[in-house]
Amino acid sequence: MSQMEETPRAGWRVVVVDDHAMFRAGVKHEIGGRVHIVGEGEDVPTAVAAVLAAVPDVVLLDVHLPGGGGVEVLKQVHAREPEVKFLALSVSDAAEDVIGVIRAGARGYVTKSISSNELVEAIGRVAEGDAVFSPRLAGFVLDAFSGVIDVASIDEDLDRLSTREREVLRLIARGYQYKEIARELFISIKTVETHVSSVLRKLQLSNRHQLTRWATDRKLV
Amino acid sequence: MTETSVRSSRPLDEAWVGGVCAGLAAQLGVPAVALRALFVVAGAFRLVGVALYLALWLTMPRWRPDANAPGLAAADRAGLRSTEQPRRLADAGLALALGLLGVGLLWLIQRQDWGLPSSTLIAGGLAALGLAAVWWVTDHFPARNRRLPMREWLGTLLRQWTHILIAGLGLVFVGAAVALVILQVAADEPTRIALVVALSVLAFVLAVAPAWLRVRRELAQARNDRLVADARADMAAHLHDSVLQTLALIQQAAEDPKQVSALARGQERELRSYLYGEQLDEASFGEALTEACADVEQRFGVEVDVVRVGDANVRLGAGQDALVAAAREAMVNAAKHAGVDRLDVYAEIAGGQVSVYVRDRGAGFDPAAIPTDRHGVRDSITERVQRAGGKVIIRSAPGEGTEIRLEMPL
Repeated sequence: MSQMEETPRAGWRVVVVDDHAMFRAGVKHEIGGRVHIVGEGEDVPTAVAAVLAAVPDVVLLDVHLPGGGGVEVLKQVHAREPEVKFLALSVSDAAEDVIGVIRAGARGYVTKSISSNELVEAIGRVAEGDAVFSPRLAGFVLDAFSGVIDVASIDEDLDRLSTREREVLRLIARGYQYKEIARELFISIKTVETHVSSVLRKLQLSNRHQLTRWATDRKLV
Repeated sequence: MTETSVRSSRPLDEAWVGGVCAGLAAQLGVPAVALRALFVVAGAFRLVGVALYLALWLTMPRWRPDANAPGLAAADRAGLRSTEQPRRLADAGLALALGLLGVGLLWLIQRQDWGLPSSTLIAGGLAALGLAAVWWVTDHFPARNRRLPMREWLGTLLRQWTHILIAGLGLVFVGAAVALVILQVAADEPTRIALVVALSVLAFVLAVAPAWLRVRRELAQARNDRLVADARADMAAHLHDSVLQTLALIQQAAEDPKQVSALARGQERELRSYLYGEQLDEASFGEALTEACADVEQRFGVEVDVVRVGDANVRLGAGQDALVAAAREAMVNAAKHAGVDRLDVYAEIAGGQVSVYVRDRGAGFDPAAIPTDRHGVRDSITERVQRAGGKVIIRSAPGEGTEIRLEMPL
């Protein structure tokens, strides 16, 4: 049974970056019929070259990658083509990796065990400029923004989630889809997407000590 | 926030000079800027702050991050992750302001004749600057990789020429300070020679002290690392057994796709939590809940996604067993009756209470009309939690899925 409905929006151009050839082949087999796979990369240099050559709508990016990790690909590509959108894909559920790749500029994070329907849906969402938060990522973000705010906190607005954003994140963490969240909170799906994008922005721009030293803090708290 | 180590250390990624203020600030819980200002003010008065700063620099070790989970450490070693530390550059404006404050105060104090004689001040300043340069290089010089052959190590050394240049300049400064002191002292030739020797030895000892300390600390660390490596080897062996066993079971059950995917999922969860997860205490709430989820997953062949927020490493006392057992019962109910292959479990520890949400997108039911044969919900979930002082809210409707929310005060 599929968890999300299929949105048959064929034709997104996608580059798959992963150091395991088997995984790339699997992704191509699973979703190749519904999106155009226009390039592949197996480490940082090949990935950067493939992305810059194809300039795809979405890059599926493995977090762990030879040559400095997915973060390095993000940095190098965004230096030349800031508009390319990235969706991070990983087996690592380590909070610091997830938060790290999002802060480097990825617009979403999903785990590799995701079903192909959900993956296609997530690709579409990222391609259209929205953010994709898995329940786990939502949980990490709630953790990252909780706790005591530093005294020397720089930007109040960036360092705090609004009540509404927190509610949306908690629902995502509880496994709700966007349209279920919209119904639960009596808002439109577009508004849900706006809240999630706003959280993504805060996550990427906030200078909170908690976010830079996040993993360490988590062990200490 | 609680500090794990009593001993303060110098976080180089937040350092302006040697990281002393940043380290002290983290330990004392005061803003680093205030400490920096304090040292600048004290430094302007007869270099007291400067001497104190250098003494602290010598005694505080460098900050080192805690060891990562084995999967992350392995990825680090293979260069699969970006190891670059987030760098917080010193705020240029603030640094300038503090510098000007220091210079201004120094000028005022010297002018009022409260300070040191100017020749002593210059010698002290030169010595401090020189020592700081040498020590800074010691801090930032990459650790020697023992596996590298000597020739390549020389190459690495050559690539560090800026560091070597800075250290050389530092030594020149220290030398100049020693020369200045010698020139000041009026004494006969033998005393003067003895003074030269004594001061040179002192300067040398001070300059190399951090390097020597660093080597000693690294040796101690290496011993420690070996112990950790042994412990990890044991763990890896254990892991190997469990994975191999699962693979064997999968081969035996090759005809039954449902069992194969259940086995694979269970093993994946175990491996993932070992490789990337945070280590939870055995009797903690988070661990108990995770175990319950894994058990349901294994026995009913459904996927259970667990997300935790807050410190899951707590023990809840008497209520914990009731809460976890009720959550488990809710999962079992969903797995049996909802007709779905995935459940979402969300646990939140915040605001003085623990909340667990168990959610499915399945058949749903009318909570007002629980059939009498389904004692599961009333007895094993609601009453169990209520007896332990908690509360249960069931939301469900036919065709809408079910969400069971369990709450327990901390």
